[in-house]
Amino acid sequence: MKVCIACGMPMQEKSDFPNGDTNKDYCAHCARPDGSMQSYEEKLASYTAFIVRAQGLDRQAACAAARSAMAKLPAWENVHTR
Amino acid sequence: MPGTKRQEQKKQTRSRILEAAIEQFAKQGLTTTSTVAIAEAAHVAHGTVFAHFSTQEELLSAAIEEFGKRINQRLHELAGAGGGVREVLAAHLKGLTEHEAFYTRMITEARLLPEEARNTLIMIQSTASFHLSEAVEKEITAGSIQPLPVHLVFNGWVGLVHYYLANSDLFAPGGSVLERYGHELLQYYMTLIKAR
Repeated sequence: MKVCIACGMPMQEKSDFPNGDTNKDYCAHCARPDGSMQSYEEKLASYTAFIVRAQGLDRQAACAAARSAMAKLPAWENVHTR
Repeated sequence: MPGTKRQEQKKQTRSRILEAAIEQFAKQGLTTTSTVAIAEAAHVAHGTVFAHFSTQEELLSAAIEEFGKRINQRLHELAGAGGGVREVLAAHLKGLTEHEAFYTRMITEARLLPEEARNTLIMIQSTASFHLSEAVEKEITAGSIQPLPVHLVFNGWVGLVHYYLANSDLFAPGGSVLERYGHELLQYYMTLIKAR
């Protein structure tokens, strides 16, 4: 089973892939509407917003957690973060 | 090839130490388990542990990261099967029950752990809250549960479950608190949030 290179989500169903394209290595939540992968900054912002919305954490704490999770993922291993 | 064989053996020893560490941390605590106990459980010399993990902290981080991967995968598999809020909460309970001992250590010792470990805990909650928020939004639209903020539906549920886990010695001494009370907690919580 594929695991999204940008957020770590396991991708089981066709609907987990951007526009149902199972050749992609990133998931529907990490794609822009045109199917291309979000940039690091876009993903960090959407990941942080998701943690705030679903868990209610402080924005800075949520951002730190999102950064830490993304640091372990293949899509971002060459990204130098601030 | 001898080199490859040696590498394979090294990998196996590392994995044996990691498995023993996950088991011992769950039994004896994340911040209190000694590397001597882990070496004994893995049937390796004490020094071998440090040949694979340079410090005790490194071993703890690796164990937490591996545990995080496993529980996340399982929660996603269980909770991603679809269904409503009740099904997602039941799936969450099942996933936590399967990993109850280590998870309980993580939540009770969270404030004592390195930031990295706390972030892993947030990621575990991300997986659970992702599936729950999707189900909650659908049921709010359908009018079957009250129009509550999704983070409070998640935190209310997790607060309840964590209270029982943190006090498992009082609720279910020597046993699984989630096996014993999971059904009751689920029934109660659904009653609280369902539309009047």
